[in-house]
Amino acid sequence: MDTLILVIIGLVAGPVLGGLIAGLDRRVTAWFQSRQGPPIMQAFYDVAKLLGKEKMVVNQWQILCAWVYMIAAAVSVALFFAQGDLLVIFFVQAVGAVFLVMGAMSAKSPYSQVGAQRELMQILAYEPVLILVFVGIYLVTGSFSISAVWELEQPLLAKMPLLYLALGFALTIKLRKSPFDFSTSHHGHQELVKGVLTEYSGPYLALIEIAHWYETVLVLGLCALFWSTNVVWMAVLLLGTYMLEILVDNTMARMTWRWMLKRVWLLGMGMSVVNLIWLYAG
Amino acid sequence: MSNLLFLLILLPAVAAVVCYFVRSSAVRTLTVLATGAVLTAASLALLGQGIFDPLTVGSVLGIPSDFLVTVLDFALLGVIFMYGVKHRNLLIQGFTLAQAALLVWFELVMVKHAAVPALAGDQLSLIMVLVISIVGSLICIFAIPYMKEHEEHLHLKKSRQPQFFFFLLLFLGAMNGLVLSNNILWLYFFFEVTTLCSFMLIGHDATEVAVKNSVRALWMNSLGGLAFVLGMMLVYSKVGTLDISAILAGGPQGALMVTGVGFLCLAGFTKAAQVPFQSWLLGAMVAPTPVSALLHSSTMVKAGVYVVLRFAPAYSGTLLSDGVAVCGAFTFLACAALCIGQSNGKKILAYSTVSNLGLIICCAGLNTPLAITAAVLLIIFHAISKSLLFLCVGAIEQAIGSRDIEDMRGLYAKFPRTATITIIGILTMLLPPFGVLMSKWMAMEAASANIYVIVMLAMGSALTMVYWARWGGLLMATREAGAAPEKQAGLIRMPLTVLCLGAVFLSLASPWIYNSMLAPMFDAPPFTVSFGSLDAATGSFAVVPLFIVLGLGALYAVKAASGFRKVKIVAPYLSGSNTGDEGTYIGPMNSPVPFSAGNMYLGELFAEGKLTPIFNALAVALIVLMLGGAL
Repeated sequence: MDTLILVIIGLVAGPVLGGLIAGLDRRVTAWFQSRQGPPIMQAFYDVAKLLGKEKMVVNQWQILCAWVYMIAAAVSVALFFAQGDLLVIFFVQAVGAVFLVMGAMSAKSPYSQVGAQRELMQILAYEPVLILVFVGIYLVTGSFSISAVWELEQPLLAKMPLLYLALGFALTIKLRKSPFDFSTSHHGHQELVKGVLTEYSGPYLALIEIAHWYETVLVLGLCALFWSTNVVWMAVLLLGTYMLEILVDNTMARMTWRWMLKRVWLLGMGMSVVNLIWLYAG
Repeated sequence: MSNLLFLLILLPAVAAVVCYFVRSSAVRTLTVLATGAVLTAASLALLGQGIFDPLTVGSVLGIPSDFLVTVLDFALLGVIFMYGVKHRNLLIQGFTLAQAALLVWFELVMVKHAAVPALAGDQLSLIMVLVISIVGSLICIFAIPYMKEHEEHLHLKKSRQPQFFFFLLLFLGAMNGLVLSNNILWLYFFFEVTTLCSFMLIGHDATEVAVKNSVRALWMNSLGGLAFVLGMMLVYSKVGTLDISAILAGGPQGALMVTGVGFLCLAGFTKAAQVPFQSWLLGAMVAPTPVSALLHSSTMVKAGVYVVLRFAPAYSGTLLSDGVAVCGAFTFLACAALCIGQSNGKKILAYSTVSNLGLIICCAGLNTPLAITAAVLLIIFHAISKSLLFLCVGAIEQAIGSRDIEDMRGLYAKFPRTATITIIGILTMLLPPFGVLMSKWMAMEAASANIYVIVMLAMGSALTMVYWARWGGLLMATREAGAAPEKQAGLIRMPLTVLCLGAVFLSLASPWIYNSMLAPMFDAPPFTVSFGSLDAATGSFAVVPLFIVLGLGALYAVKAASGFRKVKIVAPYLSGSNTGDEGTYIGPMNSPVPFSAGNMYLGELFAEGKLTPIFNALAVALIVLMLGGAL
C-alpha cells in the first residue's frame, strides 16, 4: 500500500517538479545573463499551449514513439519511487530513449535523422557510466534495490566521490545542457534546427516535454541518493549540483559528439573505474 | 522414455535420408513438416516426463552402440580429412590427422572400456532439446518456400535441395544427441557431426566465396575438435571415467583435470565463434538464410556454449572460471563494438550473435546460480529472437533484393507485416520487459562482483543499444492509404508469426519458466517468484507487472497512432519549400535539390578492418591466460 502511494506521488510530483525546475532553470540562466527571464510557470504554459495545437505529424510512428517515450519515462520514475531495482529503472528509462530515437528516425528529415544519430551517441556515452554508478551503489549497499540505500548510515558520497563526478557527465547529457546538447538544444537556431525533436510538434512535442521532466526528476533523484542520510544536505547537494549544471551550461560552448565520446568514456569511465577499485579493495 | 530419445535423435536422421533419396518436392515438404511436428511433440513429451538419470543404450540394429559411435567417429574424421584433401587445406588435414591419432591412442590404450550410460537428461539438456526441436523445426519449415525461391533465383538445372535438407535435418538430430549425451565420447561424436553439417551447409551454394568460407569454418572447428580430444584425454587421465555426470559430480580435481576442462572450453569457444574464431560464423552468412538462422540461433553455436555451460561445475571456483568469464565478456564487448560499424543486416545479426554468446559464456564463467540462470534464459530467448530476426532478414532480402539496412529505410510502407515483425524482433532483443534484456540484467547483477567483467559488460551493453535502435528506427514509414496488402507465402508467415508471438509471450512467462525448469537445477535457487516478479537478495525484476504496465502503455500508444488518418500529415521541415516529391526540396534557381541522411557507422572509431586484428590478438592473449589459469 505504501508503495502504491509512493508511486502515485512520483507520477504526480514528477512532471510538477520537472516543470518547476525547467522554469527556475530559465530564470537563473536569465539572471546570469542580466535578463529578467520568463515567469517560473512558463514551462507549464508552454506545454499547455502545445497540447492545444493542431495535431500534425510526418509519420504515424511518431505518435506511437512519443507516447511510449512519455509512458516509459513515467514508469521509470514510478519504479524509482517504488524503491525498485536501479538497473531495471535504468532499462525502463532506456525504452523511452530508444523510442524517442526511433520516432525521430521514422521521419525522412535530415535534421531529425542526424539528431537521432547524435542522440544515440549520447546514450552510448552515458549508459556505461550510469551502470557503473549502480554497480558502485551495489558494492556499498549489497543490493541494487533503492530501499537498501536508505538504510545506510553514511552518505554514498563519502564512498563514491568520483562516481558522483562521473554521474555529473550523465546528468549534463540527460538534461541536454552544453557542452553536450548536440542532438537537440534548447534553442531552435542551431545547425540541426531542433535536431532529434525537429519533426515532433504540437501535442506530441508536449508529451516529449513532459517525458523530459520525468527524466530530469529521475536523474536528480539518482543524485539525491548520494546523500540519503540527511534531507538538508541532500537538498544542498542537489541545489549545488544543479547550479553547477547551469553554470557549465552558460559558460561552455556546444561541442561535437567525438569530443563527448572521448571525454565521457575516458574521464567518466576512468573516474568510475578508479572509484570502483577503491570499493572492491575496501 | 528411450523411445522418445530415439525419436529425437534418430528421426531427423531418417527424415534426412528420405529427403536425400526421394527427390519429389511434395514428399520433401511433407517429410520436413511431419518431422518438425513430431520433434516438437517429442521434445514437449520429454519435458513432461521430467529429468531422467543416465541410461544405457544397449545396441542399435544389433551393433553395440559404443562400438558404432567409435566406428562412425573415425568414418567422420575420414570424411573431413577427404574434404581437407579436396580443398587442399593443410590445416584441416593436420587437425584431423592429429585428432584421429590421438583418438586411436585414447580408445586403444587409455580407455578401459567399461559400460558408461550413454544418455542423460537434466534440466539443461531438456531445455536445449526444446530450443533445438522447436526453433530448429520452425527454421526448417521456413526453408521450404525459401529454398524454392532461392533456387529459382539461381536457375539451377538440377535441384540441390535434397542435399540441403539432408544436412539441415541431420543437424537437428545431431544437436539433440549432443545435448543428451552422457558419455563424453558420444558428445564428441555429435560435436563432430555438427562440424561436418555446418561445413556442408555453408558451402551449399558452391560459389567461390561459399567454398572459401566453408573451408575456413571447417579448419576452425577441426581445431576445436582437436582441443576437445585433448581435453577429453586430460580429463580422463585424472578422473578415469567417460561418464559426464560423474565428472561433474566430482568437481575440479587438480591442475591436470582442470586444464583438460579448459581445452573442452576452448573447443566450445571455437564452435561458439568467440573472438578470435568469429570469422567462420561471419563467413557463414553467405549460405542461404535458413542456414544462418539455424547456425546462429538454435544449433551450432549453441553447441559451443552448451559445452562450456555443461562443464561449469567441473571448473567452478578455479582461476579457469574467471578466465572463461573474462574471455566471454571480452567477446561481448568486442563484437558489440565491431557491430557498430556494420550496415549489412546479416553481419549485424552475426556480430550480435557472437556478442550474446560471449555473454552466455561469461555467465558460465561467473559460475554462480544467478549467472547460470542468466545463461540458460539467454540461450532460450536469444534463440527465439535471433532466429526470428534472421528469418525476417531473409524474407526482406527476397523482397527488396538487399540485406543492407540502409536499403531497408521505410520498409513499413511496402512490407508492413514483415517490417512490424522485424521491429518487434529488434525490441525483444533490446528492451525490457523482454527475456533477452532480463537475462542481461541478471548477468550484470551476477557480474557486479567482478570489476573486469562488469566494466566490459557496461560498455558492451551501451554499444548494443546503438546498433539495434537505429535499425528499428529506419524501418518505420507511412503507408499510403489504399496501398496493396503485402503478399507472403503461408509457410514463411507461419514461422515468423509463431516465433514473434513466442518471443513476446515466453518473455511474459519467464517467471514460470524459471520456477519449473531452472530453479530445480540449484540447491539454493537465486530467485523467489511472487506476483510474477523475480526477487533476489540483490534486486528484483517485476516481469509481469512491467509487462502489464508497459504493455497497456504500448497498446494505448498503438491505438493513438492508429488514428493517424485523422491527424494532419505534413512533409518534413527542410529549411526550404518542399517539392512534393520525397527526398528533394526547392533550392537555389528554383531547382529541386536532393537530400539524404544515413546512419553514422563511426568508421574512424569502429572500423572492422582496424579493430579485428587488435581484438583477435587480445583474445588470443586472454585465452592463453585462461588456459594457463587452469594450471
